[in-house]
Amino acid sequence: MNARENILARIGKARGSSIAADVDGEIRRHQRGPIPPLEDDLVKRFGERAVSLASDVARARTITEVPGLVAHYLIERQLPMQGVCWPALAPYGWNSVGIELQTRAARGDDLVGVTGAFAGIAETGTLMLLSGPETPATVSLLPETHIAILDAERIVATMEQAWDRLRVERGALPRAVNFVSGPSRTADIEQTVTLGAHGPYRVLIIIVG
Amino acid sequence: MEVTAMHFKRKAAENLGDEKLQQALEKLQTKFVDGRAAAIAELPNFGEVRDAAAEIRDKVVRHLDRYLLHFEQEAAARGTVVHWAETGDEVNRIVADIARQHGLHKVVKSKSMVSEECGLNEALESQGLNVLETDLGEYILQLAHEPPSHIVAPVVHKSKEDISDLFSRHHASPRKTGIAELCREAREVLRPGFLSADLGISGANFIIAETGSVLIVTNEGNGRLATTLPRVHVAITGIEKVVPTLEDATTLLRLLPRSATGQSITNYVSVLTGTKEKGESDGPEHFHIILLDNGRSQLLGTELQPMLRCIRCGACMNHCPVYQNIGGHAYGWVYPGPMGSVLTPVFVGLENALDLPNASTFCGECAVVCPVKIPLPDLMRHLRHQQVQRHLRPWTERVALRLWSWVARHPAVYALFTRAAVRLLGWLGGEKKMLHHLPGASGWTKGRDMPAPSGRTFRELYQARRSP
Amino acid sequence: MRVGLFVTCLVDLMRPSIGFAALRLLKNVGCEVVVPESQTCCGQPGYNSGDRKSAKSLALKLLREFKDCDYVVLPSGSCAGMIKVHYPTLFANEPIVLESIKRLSGCTYELTDFLVNVLKIEKIPGHYSGTLTYHDSCSGLRELGVQAQPRALLAKMPGVTLTEMQNATTCCGFGGTFSVKFGDISTRMADKKCANITQTGAGAVVAGDLGCLLNIEGRLRRNGDLRTKVLHVAEVLAGMEDTWK
Repeated sequence: MNARENILARIGKARGSSIAADVDGEIRRHQRGPIPPLEDDLVKRFGERAVSLASDVARARTITEVPGLVAHYLIERQLPMQGVCWPALAPYGWNSVGIELQTRAARGDDLVGVTGAFAGIAETGTLMLLSGPETPATVSLLPETHIAILDAERIVATMEQAWDRLRVERGALPRAVNFVSGPSRTADIEQTVTLGAHGPYRVLIIIVG
Repeated sequence: MEVTAMHFKRKAAENLGDEKLQQALEKLQTKFVDGRAAAIAELPNFGEVRDAAAEIRDKVVRHLDRYLLHFEQEAAARGTVVHWAETGDEVNRIVADIARQHGLHKVVKSKSMVSEECGLNEALESQGLNVLETDLGEYILQLAHEPPSHIVAPVVHKSKEDISDLFSRHHASPRKTGIAELCREAREVLRPGFLSADLGISGANFIIAETGSVLIVTNEGNGRLATTLPRVHVAITGIEKVVPTLEDATTLLRLLPRSATGQSITNYVSVLTGTKEKGESDGPEHFHIILLDNGRSQLLGTELQPMLRCIRCGACMNHCPVYQNIGGHAYGWVYPGPMGSVLTPVFVGLENALDLPNASTFCGECAVVCPVKIPLPDLMRHLRHQQVQRHLRPWTERVALRLWSWVARHPAVYALFTRAAVRLLGWLGGEKKMLHHLPGASGWTKGRDMPAPSGRTFRELYQARRSP
Repeated sequence: MRVGLFVTCLVDLMRPSIGFAALRLLKNVGCEVVVPESQTCCGQPGYNSGDRKSAKSLALKLLREFKDCDYVVLPSGSCAGMIKVHYPTLFANEPIVLESIKRLSGCTYELTDFLVNVLKIEKIPGHYSGTLTYHDSCSGLRELGVQAQPRALLAKMPGVTLTEMQNATTCCGFGGTFSVKFGDISTRMADKKCANITQTGAGAVVAGDLGCLLNIEGRLRRNGDLRTKVLHVAEVLAGMEDTWK
């Protein structure tokens, strides 16, 4: 008997002859738990929560306004005007505002990373990012500044709705689903929250539309 | 981890006298206690969510094998290798084998309390692997060669000055004093570690049966880095950590960060499924999950079964007035506070942790704040009962309790005994009606007086009034 | 209605005035009060030390003694909690006796809870004058929900000013045998409670459990505070706060 058999045997013995649950059926139905009520204006809620978690939030009417907003943000904070981005974001005229973005995964010394987002969770002001060949996870993680471009129509109320969207649009989970709620932080030293641990020091979310 | 739970009383006494620690523990109150209260208050349907969370965990525990098998099937379908281990040593062996199999030498670790149970770091280092803890608190502990004193905030017992000293010594760099500076230094020191590591080891806050995924919550980003950059990722977790669906994980996520640190959500929540996809530039080529028993299955079918609902939030210890005064190291193993007082005796042997379930006033605050409604005082009482049944209590205690019980069942004897006792104590109390010493109860009188009784019992006074 | 008064072993031995205060409060509203004279201990010390057997035998004794009462009232949250919450657990696997135990639990009350929610008393016999601060004893609070009741009763006394201490609901460190077995931790907890009490500037601290009161008073006096009065809520309400001296 190996460990697996032993453990399962012990569990089975302890359970005894209790009624077998329809575990497979229950999992297939994936029922939601109790969901807190939220206000109707999800974009407003998202923005307020994101700000309260130390993200910076900006609005753009169309995607064409985005590079200008980013340039403004970087210049204001004296940050470098170069970095990496997801391929889908490459064609939006970054050069015209003086920003140079390479389309690749981030390396340890990249300082700015520009990504999109699969969804925004209004309940907590959280970005939902999916990993993939066209959406490398490192771009939102290694650089000191993370800029996320989020379609307003992809802001949902809660994580439950985001899962359903994912099931419908993708079928299966990607390798990594990362929920991001602001700059990285730690409070390990004297319980004092400090922004900028191993991930980004700052996060700018540009809500488009 | 080495077990020192049998030295609880001595270590508690030391910690009571440790000024620095006492100051550090006071910060727990504002940060974690007030933080949790505020975070719970802003969740409008907290009660409902807590009921649902407890039910999810309870349901899983009742049908644990079914959920684990479903998880295993889904994980395997995504190319994840699932291992089962009965003991910490087996876990260490499995990880060492994986390292050998893939030629791995440099490990980055994201926090895992289960790995502490196993003594994983030492085991891997003895096999010639280089292990780097990346959670800031765990990294600090690694430098200081100390165990964690809290399951969520492992260096709550250390001051900024302690950490400044440690860093300047180990990093051979000028001493930083600001907290932000210290964090920046840690980031710069640890980043090359992330980038050059070939094996990432993490725990798992939950594993999800529906999708065969591992769910990790962090604030620092080290969890993401450790599970994205190295070419092999090994996640180690307890068998009880499985939850049925993504929705169930979401329900529990409404309570875990709130209960732990007062956050509505942790900075990062990562749901990891399988290996690097075709064409992906990031992600591990190989993903292993190790499911550890180490005594957990022994709790099933016993009065201690509810303990398996635990989601390791730390709220119980944050709110425990005993923990608040003595800190975590006194508990002498991986898990401190109320949950540690239940798990440690179970995992390391009742006889090695006799004091832990007894060092509680049963105030009940832990049960009030537990997000999954574990009746912690009842479980500790059950362990006390087990100690009595296994004759592990000192004979003096057994005799005293037996005597009291017998006397209390015989009212006439009780009357004689108590009338004599209160007259004696009343007399000893003197004019001031205060006792400064009590034979056999120096635990009380070392730090407190005892108001002396009046010298007559209620029963005799009542009888006297009734029959003039 | 017949109200059975169980004074508790601590009150019996250490401060009978609490028992008499409870008696006065109940009689004052016209209750027929019986005090079964063979009463001793509810079994909690043994129960909390892991000795279920002795706890059960004392429970059965108490059951017998109070079987003719419509209510059982105690000036103690922890002993009332023992009967209400833990007796049913002790006999969970004995369906025949469990019936009677559940009936007993159903009619058992902590004193202030009984006064407010069953007797709904309006007039308080006592005449206390001064500032008080109230310590919430753990079992009463968390097992029985006793928190608003004592405060509501004290608020009806015109001479009383109630001031709340910080961390009123934090354990004082008594915990029964814990206070002796882990004396240094217990003393530290008592110390913090005393500091919170002193900080209010109140002339007296009041609580519903004698264990807490002995612990708090013991630490106050050892610290050199001979002024702050330490009173049971029954004593204050019944106007018997001086009788124990």
